[in-house]
Amino acid sequence: MKNTAKIIPCYSADTSGVCSALYELSGLTVVHDASGCNSTYSTHDEPRWYDMRSNIYISALTEIDAVMGNDEKFISDVSAAAFDRKPEFIAICGSPMPMMTGFDYDNAANEIQSRTGIATFPVYTNGTRSYIDGAADSFVNVLKLFTKPLEKVKNRVNITGLTPLDLPLGSDRLIRKWLAENDLECVCTLAMGSTLEDVKKMSSASATVVMSYSGLAAAEYLYKEYAIPYVCGVPVGDFSDILIKAVKKAAETGECIRSPFERNEDRGTVIIGESIMSLSIASAIGGADIISPLPCDEDMLGINDSTVYSEEDIEAVLGEKKPSVVVADPLYKYIIPESTRLVEIPHFAFSGRCFQKNMKDMITTGLGEYFK
Amino acid sequence: MIKLAIYGKGGIGKSTCTSNLSAALASLGKKVIQIGCDPKADSTINLLGGDPVMPVMDYMREYDEEPDSIDKISKTGFGGVLCIETGGPTPGLGCAGRGIITTFSLLEQLELFEKVKPDAVLYDVLGDVVCGGFAAPIREGYAEQVLIVTSGEKMALYAANNIYTAVRNFEDRSYAKVRGVIMNRRNVEDEEQKVRSFADKAGIGIIADIPRSADIIKYEDMGMTCVEGDPECDAAKQFIALAKTLIDEDEKNG
Repeated sequence: MKNTAKIIPCYSADTSGVCSALYELSGLTVVHDASGCNSTYSTHDEPRWYDMRSNIYISALTEIDAVMGNDEKFISDVSAAAFDRKPEFIAICGSPMPMMTGFDYDNAANEIQSRTGIATFPVYTNGTRSYIDGAADSFVNVLKLFTKPLEKVKNRVNITGLTPLDLPLGSDRLIRKWLAENDLECVCTLAMGSTLEDVKKMSSASATVVMSYSGLAAAEYLYKEYAIPYVCGVPVGDFSDILIKAVKKAAETGECIRSPFERNEDRGTVIIGESIMSLSIASAIGGADIISPLPCDEDMLGINDSTVYSEEDIEAVLGEKKPSVVVADPLYKYIIPESTRLVEIPHFAFSGRCFQKNMKDMITTGLGEYFK
Repeated sequence: MIKLAIYGKGGIGKSTCTSNLSAALASLGKKVIQIGCDPKADSTINLLGGDPVMPVMDYMREYDEEPDSIDKISKTGFGGVLCIETGGPTPGLGCAGRGIITTFSLLEQLELFEKVKPDAVLYDVLGDVVCGGFAAPIREGYAEQVLIVTSGEKMALYAANNIYTAVRNFEDRSYAKVRGVIMNRRNVEDEEQKVRSFADKAGIGIIADIPRSADIIKYEDMGMTCVEGDPECDAAKQFIALAKTLIDEDEKNG
């Protein structure tokens, strides 16, 4: 029973990652799950739900359909919804129930595509992995389907791994502004504040900025297919200048800069959270050790950083490091040592809407608001 | 690449036939992987001198994490056959079918086929196609052909027909197709006629005729296949002939 959380919540699941990644791309996303679960993926984990329409469907899997392996019901229902909604693509993903019954996503996707004539892809979620995995696979699928070689345009930049699960609503506008101030044009903010038409133009960019680990696989795909180099990082506080230089260098040389982060040895501060955001904050504040409780590229982390997933392992690392400051979502306050100061930076994928009103713009105003 | 799934009634000799076929393919110079898909995890034991490999599910139960290399869940047996067992949950608990799917995902993650580059993969599957998990070996990307093991016994033929029907139900999907029947003789009266009657009705052929043989039992008692123990015995010759047929077909199909 590893990874059991007794006090803190768990991060949004892979299924929510799929829904979030595809929310604005004019597709039809279908989660194979029991009726009623739509609210989990699309309201609790999706702040755009109240203001923006999206085709997120639940298959309303029943006990008897699961027992009988009634795939035809799923296939015909999704096909009917597709005829009605006329989406640009169909994504199907799943929850623990179809995982247990061994639902064949490949076959279902092929069948739906052959009946509807609409490009359909499976994302192999099962509700037990993190949102990072679901979002990462979804981004790659969309790129594979909708990008074709285009002539590269200098100073055009892609953003990948941008969803409200990691960055506050409105971050896309701030990122575009930040790029424009640095004479760069944003092609697509995959996938918040952009359309499928923007996705189709991504192969014309000269560099990609990866804003969260969920966008790394997409950036790697763009690099492999179109030789578009990528740089990882979120333009927070003083790190913005380092990042923009790295982006321009990558665009010029064609070489990826996976880890532009610059940190001093600082054993007094620990940041807990998504790896690319945490490394960016660490660079912005001069130095900190990272605890990554989510999938990440361990090569990006330093010798003093930790990848731990369970509550008790996080507590153990904190107990060992004895930091004076922890930077993390407010809900971590229940497991940090008593004498430690907590700098609260809400993370939607961890605490949902609980602290949404406390989310501050880190991109244009730096981190002062959080650290004061 | 030869990709086979072997199905049949419980106790009919699937593991015996699969192991002997693996041994025969290996003795003809092929790189073979045999994956036992049965919670009992005894498919490959006679390729391993009676010293079993740790099943994948046992590894996960014991270490509470996924293995990070193929070595931890495999062993090399007779003729270089790489032996893997899915194993299953504690009897009476969990879901054995799901265990097969989990194992397959894991093997994919560990890039088993890319790293080992086998010429043949044999999936030895528990009994009938009873649920999604037990159909996993015949899905796209895994086995391409199904061999059904049966004797002339009524219940063995009944199970064989169920398996045939189940596989045929998937004919509009890109799943494996039934290649033929391995007649594993139990010396039942009119055995050949009974098995042939089933095979003809189903429109499939008898691809191998394995005699009831004391050699098979003798060498299994010694922890080996009869192909290893005595490649000249009648039963071994049948397995080697079957292996040659499959190799020829595979080469012909490019």
